[in-house]
Amino acid sequence: MSTEAPLRLLLGPQRPTVNLDTAIARAGFGDGPIAVISAAWQEAEGDIGDIRRLLKNPLTDLGIYQKANDLFDADTTLHEAYRLRQDHLKEQQRLYRMRLRQLMIAARATLRAEGETSVIAAERRHAISQLRALDQHHLRQVGKIHTRFDNACNVESNARLADATAAVEAQFSQFDTVLITGGNVVVLMNRLRLFGLHRLLHDKQIVAWSGGAMVLCDRIVLFHDKLPQGRRDAEIMSEGLGILPRLVLLPNPSDRLRTRDLPRISLFDRRFSPAICVTLDSGSSLLFEGETLRACEAAKRMTRNGKLKRLRVT
Amino acid sequence: MNPALRKLIRKSEPSTADIDALIQDTVFPLVDGTDVTFVFRGQADAVYLRCWIAGLDTAQPFQPLKGTDLWATTIDLPKGSRIEYKFELVRDGKKDLILDPLNGVVARDPFGANSVCQAAGYARPEWTLHDPVSRTGSLHTLNVDSKVFGTAREIQVYLPATFRDNRRYPLLVVHDGIDYLRYADLKIVLDNLIHRLEIPSLVVALIQSPDRLKEYSGDDRHARFLADELLPFMNSTFPLIDAPDSRCLMGASFGGVASLHAAWRYPEHFGSLLLQSGSFAFSDIGRHNRGPVFDPVVRFMNEFREQPGSPADRIFMSCGMYESLIYENRSLVPHLQGKGVDVRFEEARDAHNWENWRDRLRIGLSWLMPGPAWMVYD
Repeated sequence: MSTEAPLRLLLGPQRPTVNLDTAIARAGFGDGPIAVISAAWQEAEGDIGDIRRLLKNPLTDLGIYQKANDLFDADTTLHEAYRLRQDHLKEQQRLYRMRLRQLMIAARATLRAEGETSVIAAERRHAISQLRALDQHHLRQVGKIHTRFDNACNVESNARLADATAAVEAQFSQFDTVLITGGNVVVLMNRLRLFGLHRLLHDKQIVAWSGGAMVLCDRIVLFHDKLPQGRRDAEIMSEGLGILPRLVLLPNPSDRLRTRDLPRISLFDRRFSPAICVTLDSGSSLLFEGETLRACEAAKRMTRNGKLKRLRVT
Repeated sequence: MNPALRKLIRKSEPSTADIDALIQDTVFPLVDGTDVTFVFRGQADAVYLRCWIAGLDTAQPFQPLKGTDLWATTIDLPKGSRIEYKFELVRDGKKDLILDPLNGVVARDPFGANSVCQAAGYARPEWTLHDPVSRTGSLHTLNVDSKVFGTAREIQVYLPATFRDNRRYPLLVVHDGIDYLRYADLKIVLDNLIHRLEIPSLVVALIQSPDRLKEYSGDDRHARFLADELLPFMNSTFPLIDAPDSRCLMGASFGGVASLHAAWRYPEHFGSLLLQSGSFAFSDIGRHNRGPVFDPVVRFMNEFREQPGSPADRIFMSCGMYESLIYENRSLVPHLQGKGVDVRFEEARDAHNWENWRDRLRIGLSWLMPGPAWMVYD
């Protein structure tokens, strides 16, 4: 393992523009073996033929989605506890969403308000501080639910989980570089946590796209403005891995975000500050060395005035 | 009148070939902005357009076009409209209802078929059409023993393409489920919406009553069947999320009444309702004028309006603007909202028919049961 800070290459969706191969080559990842985590594809996990055609590196899919399913089949008590945690997380998310809706309405109204500037500015600050407080509260509550599960079901108390985790860790330790695909970010984060990979990824070189890149941040923000039933308020799902702090990643803005809605974009920036909100469209890339941004292509950041601005290396 | 038709009848003696050419080169009915002209060719004593639209005359007379064997009538149809119709031909004192011979677009329902007029701005939603990319779910026929009805009830169950025993699924119960499959392409819609992640993978129980006008009209036996027999059966047979917010009850017309009634009789069983063109007839005073089949419906709705309780947390309602039930449906919305129910109501320029209900499925289902598109970042 090199003593230099590991590289983290973040990419936008690999459709319609594929830049996985060129971005990896340009970043200098070398041609060593790569562990693939495609758990976010769920039943399609391991279907990595397209990646093999792009990269010369030997690839091994860790298969953690299926390994978790096998573990649950073998240990119904663990499965029940896991389901109970998921039920609690869903309930927590539902209550958070309910409260969030009201605060978002208020915050948006203050952003659109016209009149005496000093009066509006104070109300706007307060509305956004309430939003931020709710986000923080939600993160704490989600954390408590995870802690309860981790205290009840861990490698010390559950032999099957210990064996499965040890096997995944042993396999994982053979690789310096990990590739994490996009897909269902909730499933991905759950599987990483189950096998303790959320602690082990910090030392690795990482290539990740879309959902895979989102989990590397300290907070995972779910968003979609173009659902059939209309826009949805952006929600914090949970803490991410924290490998790239003070960054909120928003993949595929062309298909998911109303980027010309200035108050909406401005609210993203204000709500998640000091983190910067960065959009990753297909074809874009960000290269970090440790936590330091070294290169970026076609990525944009959200600004206070609601516009998207090209992100540059400073 | 349509320009091509006007040009034709301006000729002093249009030939059969002229008429043949017009018929061959033209899509019927003729849509010119909001003017829609229906044309019949043939011998008759009189021709009428029958389209069962609240607000229009029941029978719109055609005019014979001089010097031809053509008949035509023009109506004003707002953009985005879709209506179903037939022609009524009067010959030798006899009346016949027929499909429009010049229009191949047909909608089927349990009573047969109607011709379809798609006004300017209406297009069949692409998500209602078979998409070869979408993985197809499967249908299974099962029997539910019913003490309530003293006999087994046959149901169909839809399982999503990615169904796995070790997963848990939300449940959707559909009244007139077989009709929804046949006339509203429900299976195609489910396959497409699940594939596009707009709704979750879910298990669907499709029920079909042998006596719907009675059992769906606010009948306590039907509500008991759903709550005490169907739900336990589904829970014991399939891996379902055993929580009200993961259960939705759905129906159209009398099926909408049955859904609301069952959720009202058994609160905390169904977290959400999808009610399409519900036959929510009521009377503020005196008698209603919808016929005896509506008597139990009106009794239930009057009672419901007095004591709505808490039938569900979320209700999606839709109704066609061209059906008389629009007034009852509109009036129910603020009533439910006033009781704290999260209601979404969609109106469509359509009438009381299966394709209207089909076209509203995407917005209704995805609002009540949002899919994982929200969580998937490919």
